[in-house]
Amino acid sequence: MKLLKVIASGYKNCTEHFSIDFLARSKKTEEDKEYELLEIADQLYVFSTMAVIGKNASGKTSAIELLDCCYDILSKFRLEYLDFEFDGVKLEMYFYEEGYVYYYSTKLRKSAADEKKSIFTEQYLFRKKYFKSKTKEIFSEKGWERLVIDGELPEDISIVFFVLKTMKVREIYYGVQEDKDSGITKGFSMIKKLHFSDEVIKSILKIFDDKVDDLIQLDENKYLLIYQGQKKELTEKELEGILSSGTIKGLSLYLTAYASLKYGFDLLIDEIENHFHKSLVNNLLCLYKDKSVNKHNASLVFTTHYCEILDMFNRSDNIWITKSQDKVIAENMYEKYGLRSELSKSKKFYENAFGTGVDYEALMNLKELLMK
Amino acid sequence: MKYILMCEGKNELTVLNLLLGHDKLIITPNELLGLVPYQARQLDKSPQILGMMNIYTEDVIIYRIGDKMTDELRIPKQIKKRVIREEKYCTLPELEILLIISEEKYNEYIKQKSKITPKKFAKMYIKCNRMRYDNSSLFYEKYYQDIDKLVQAIQQYSVLHKTHKKDEHYLIELLK
Repeated sequence: MKLLKVIASGYKNCTEHFSIDFLARSKKTEEDKEYELLEIADQLYVFSTMAVIGKNASGKTSAIELLDCCYDILSKFRLEYLDFEFDGVKLEMYFYEEGYVYYYSTKLRKSAADEKKSIFTEQYLFRKKYFKSKTKEIFSEKGWERLVIDGELPEDISIVFFVLKTMKVREIYYGVQEDKDSGITKGFSMIKKLHFSDEVIKSILKIFDDKVDDLIQLDENKYLLIYQGQKKELTEKELEGILSSGTIKGLSLYLTAYASLKYGFDLLIDEIENHFHKSLVNNLLCLYKDKSVNKHNASLVFTTHYCEILDMFNRSDNIWITKSQDKVIAENMYEKYGLRSELSKSKKFYENAFGTGVDYEALMNLKELLMK
Repeated sequence: MKYILMCEGKNELTVLNLLLGHDKLIITPNELLGLVPYQARQLDKSPQILGMMNIYTEDVIIYRIGDKMTDELRIPKQIKKRVIREEKYCTLPELEILLIISEEKYNEYIKQKSKITPKKFAKMYIKCNRMRYDNSSLFYEKYYQDIDKLVQAIQQYSVLHKTHKKDEHYLIELLK
């Protein structure tokens, strides 16, 4: 399953029909096909990496959380622990699965039993066979066949269950508030669950802290750390005192990226620069673009404030710019600004070509106050 | 010091990957920047290579693999000092000449070379099982499943095609 497009209405402070999609729309060069794009079906290309950029409070997190919400429906077929006002939100999504493009639409309503849980109302599910000759019409209204749902589900289970059938990890989302303290436990439970070798954790730890020779989990709360050649048996709390918070965060996120690349699920990261040094962000992007590593079509979607990261992109249709006017909007860099791929994106940002510059007057007002 | 293998097209990349995978090159993946060859015509249009050059901070030697490669390699300012040298490794007039040699149709092609490109010639006369040559990487993978066939073609090419210019190296020089 690959998500192709999401449209939301009534979602947070976003505009009606707030939309983001993953389909390549500008010219696809041979090099782009090798690095920037993933061919999920004959001549159907989605992005290996996609970025959402904008200034503070422009709606980047809202955009990526919307994607996370849709992935939850497509992975677990339910929505729980929602911490935004979702009652009445209409979600529409297009996804690709085994030769068909599907369109699913629903209106979320609060569950009477649990106000953080959604029930799915006004659900519609359509599909059409994918033909490479009709890639440009993939989202058009033509050719859809409504799926007849043969069976009943509890009201908190989405009918996409009838298409995707098995609950599985199709995406993992890393928010800014991700709890760093649980990084070690989370990392080791993932290793166990996915049967990764000890070498994986060792090589990831080396990236973040070259003084760490090895880390082995002895039991639920006991670890053996080999640090600068010395062996130490430690509890998780004690371990957190030795390893930096950056190492713990990095370990957890790089392990997730490793799993994402190995199993082909998508990884969503809010404010990627908050998790890593720029070189490591750079490296992560390189991994998702490298088909010798990314063999199962995993995509990396992230938000960032740092426009320099975007110079790692050879295309501009995989960059979304969020802006908060009366409502939050998302503009596709290629569609809206037609930026040629060879131009430096960061330079354009600093020239305020996308209207995302920081408000000079507001900064000077603050400086004036400090000068008094 | 690392090497950057810049392949002009997808098929050159496939050929290099086949040779690397079978340990036929004088360079190992460990000696390559990012452990892999890249498909890139120019450095300034390859965020993939430039990204890796941000992580790897030492010197590099660039090997460009392609046919004529008449365009000059543009080396961005920020990495210029770290590029020790660049060399071109060519298969003239087109990569398909290797398939033509493997098929033992070199002389036949030479007779028609003013009228037809190696690519067109290969599309007309070369098949692998039932698959006609279609300019795809898959074809190269299938056709050169036996890696020695590819090595032989590269060796024979250097004997048959002696018209390289001074700066145009032969792929055989990269073989063990």
